[in-house]
Amino acid sequence: MEAQGHHITSVKTLLTVATALIILTIITVIFGYLNFPPPYNVIAAIGIAVVKASLVAMFFMNLYWDKKFNALILVISIIFLSALVGITMLDTMFRHAIIPTFTAG
Amino acid sequence: METAAANRKTVTMKVRRYVMPEHSEKNYINQEKGLKSWLLTRDHKRIGLMYFMTSAVVFFVAGLLALTIRLELWTPAKTIIDAQTYNEIFTLHGTMMIFFFLVPAVPGILGNFLIPLQIGAKDVAFPRLNLLSYYLYLMGVIFTVVTILTHGVDTGWTFYAPYSIKSTAAVIPMTTGIFISGFSSILTGLNFIVTIHKLRAPGLTWGKFPLFVWGIYGTSIIQILATPVLAITLALVVMERVLHVGIFDPALGGDPVLYQHFFWFYSHPAVYIMIVPGFGIIADLIATFSHKRLFGYWFVAISTLAISFLGFLVWGHHMFVAGQSMVASIVFSLITFMIGIPTGIKIFNWLATMYKGSIRLKVPMLYALSFIFLFSIGGFTGVMLGALSVDVQLHATYYVVAHFHYVMFGGMVIALLGGIHFWWPKMFGKMYSETMARVSWFLIFVGFNVTFFPQFILGAKGMPRRYYNYLDQFQSLHQLSTVGSWILALGFFVMLGYLLHSLIKGEKAPANPWDARTLEWMTSAPPPTENFSYTPVVIHGPYEYQRPISEFQLGLINNDHHGGEEHEIEAPSGSPEMANA
Amino acid sequence: MADAVAESSHGHDKHVFHHFVDAHQQFDASKMGMWIFLATEILFFGGLFAAYIIFRSWYPQTFVEASDSLNRAIGGINTVVLIISSLTMALAIHYIQRNDKGKTILFLGCTWVLAATFMVIKGFEWSEHFSEGMYAGKAYAYTGVTASHAYIFYSLYYLMTGLHGIHVLVGMGLITWLMIKTKRGQFSSDYFTPVEITGLYWHLVDIIWIFLLPLFYIVA
Repeated sequence: MEAQGHHITSVKTLLTVATALIILTIITVIFGYLNFPPPYNVIAAIGIAVVKASLVAMFFMNLYWDKKFNALILVISIIFLSALVGITMLDTMFRHAIIPTFTAG
Repeated sequence: METAAANRKTVTMKVRRYVMPEHSEKNYINQEKGLKSWLLTRDHKRIGLMYFMTSAVVFFVAGLLALTIRLELWTPAKTIIDAQTYNEIFTLHGTMMIFFFLVPAVPGILGNFLIPLQIGAKDVAFPRLNLLSYYLYLMGVIFTVVTILTHGVDTGWTFYAPYSIKSTAAVIPMTTGIFISGFSSILTGLNFIVTIHKLRAPGLTWGKFPLFVWGIYGTSIIQILATPVLAITLALVVMERVLHVGIFDPALGGDPVLYQHFFWFYSHPAVYIMIVPGFGIIADLIATFSHKRLFGYWFVAISTLAISFLGFLVWGHHMFVAGQSMVASIVFSLITFMIGIPTGIKIFNWLATMYKGSIRLKVPMLYALSFIFLFSIGGFTGVMLGALSVDVQLHATYYVVAHFHYVMFGGMVIALLGGIHFWWPKMFGKMYSETMARVSWFLIFVGFNVTFFPQFILGAKGMPRRYYNYLDQFQSLHQLSTVGSWILALGFFVMLGYLLHSLIKGEKAPANPWDARTLEWMTSAPPPTENFSYTPVVIHGPYEYQRPISEFQLGLINNDHHGGEEHEIEAPSGSPEMANA
Repeated sequence: MADAVAESSHGHDKHVFHHFVDAHQQFDASKMGMWIFLATEILFFGGLFAAYIIFRSWYPQTFVEASDSLNRAIGGINTVVLIISSLTMALAIHYIQRNDKGKTILFLGCTWVLAATFMVIKGFEWSEHFSEGMYAGKAYAYTGVTASHAYIFYSLYYLMTGLHGIHVLVGMGLITWLMIKTKRGQFSSDYFTPVEITGLYWHLVDIIWIFLLPLFYIVA
């Protein structure tokens, strides 16, 4: 399975992962019609998306067999994106009014 | 003979000493001739020179704009230009200095020239990408010139919504130019990270390379993570102007403060992009000219990474009075205070390096010492601005203008000048006049303080920034500041003079005029295109001045040589020799 | 007489640039470089995701209503199309690693066709939206969703799927280039780095769509 140190993912693995992804997609669409109460609707939808993205990253992008540093790059970018969203929301979620206005006097 | 610690993986290699000629007949400048060999070069050293020439022109033009601003402020009312032109000039000055000089110049000039040399590599990881980075930068500069010539931009370099959406000025060409230049920044950062990880010479572990490499590494990380957010923000401003998407425009229900969040998420780390390589330069200068090992190498290295990381968490300190929630403001203020800690650690380590060192006050050292003084002032005043109640008074006043000029000019530009004077003999194989360089340094140091120190006072007394008119009581301080700008300008003209003279008629430089120990000094001045005629092997740290130079000139034995001392060295992870061992 | 040692070990390999010691180091470096570029793409799209999250947190009801106006089935189909295109891309890399150039070109071609299918479906989707007045921002004129700030959902929808679409087009261009070079025999199991790193790019384009699906189509 190795050529010059490169891992070659088997066709079987690739087909299995693709099948899983398609099934998860179908589940996501079905969830759309089921109308879960918030916040569970968001958690379910995003949770499935995270699982799908992880499958793509690990098995299509080969991170499962690759040097750990490349996975670290991916993780760090997500952490910083979370910092952007999270800390901005410390502002947007705690304002008195959504768009700040200033009254005269 | 260096022996590694018992628990480290070591590989035994046969090395011998290689002495590169002091001057190369054929060096990277004259080896290939003709315009095409420059325009299509993949040599990191030539690319570094091209960045040097372009950014010098940008600095010169943006500097002239600054002189114009200061001249206009000689009197409270109109002096030489009208208000609209004034707005366009300070916008252009800020945009050019930040996006087209400070962000690209240090990685572009010194990073490109030195990183492969300092790590003993033949080039960066992706030389063609490096050339592309340069051309993207050049395109960005050209867009700016087009903007100047057609319409001008009057929004301030911060392009705040909603004015940037409504203004009739040439916002779209200007932001496009910045977008393109941002791409250059990203590709440069990418190149350096891979280069530093993958192309280090055998024996060059993470604890052995010069602090300048750490500085470039830290900056590259910030460039990768922050610049894309600027890119999307500018793209959204264009979309807002063209399609009225309503994300930032309050008239459509958008949030202008959201623009500020996105903008500053990049632009605060951007100031660290600008200064972190400077920290690296200063560490190298202080160690070399104290002739003493850098005190607390790992403290300085890790604090570089800490600053790079913490710099991403403080952006809201630009927005304390913008309508941001109190919760966010408190968090941002707290982290802003914290970022002073790793910075302070650096300064103390540099001072400790100097203590009991053998100090030579050559011109690069004069710049390094100036940096410590000026950057400390800039840094302290930054922490002061980070205090919420103080910022309410000082936000958008000249206090802020003075603060950022102290850190960006008094910090980064001074560090860059120190670096240029340090590495000039290596880059061009010529020495410059030490006396004239001292004169220039003195004029710049005095001129800088006369220009900007009064601005702290102006700001504290209530003079707002970006104002074209002002109250009569501020005139004397404004005039003092303007006189300072003339002294500064004179200092730079003197510098231009002796540097040009050095290129044309300067005395030939030895390969290692400063008795340093890092790899770039072990090759000829100027270096040959392939940097080293051997594969360097590193067995000591970068600041081991007590070791003889011969121990820094070791290289792998070529097939056609026999014998040579055997050294046991630590082969770093990823080193190709590990595979062969 | 530069680098006699290194030269003798890779002198036969014309794909290795002289500043690398061997093909393995070059391949690893190229992969690391592409992962760093992908990190920048994540932060680039990330700004739009951040805008989405913030506006949705302000106007949750609007997003629920507006999401209903999008066709969930089409969204799902497009997702499956992209997933299969990721599969075919991974298969193309599998076969070039086995030096089977014919199958490589076949699967690259499939990836291209699936990408084009995605764009065509998107094109139909968008033109249908336009015909109903679902424009971005100021031009919003759809009477079906009248919640406050309804236009913001559509602004974000067009911005994010539009930017994604541009990346799909770029990917199609890259895949075309790969097919041409494979046909010309410039890739083999010894050297297929551009195929590998284009694959990484393509999978990220897929991952971004995987998140766009629930964000716009499945807000219930």
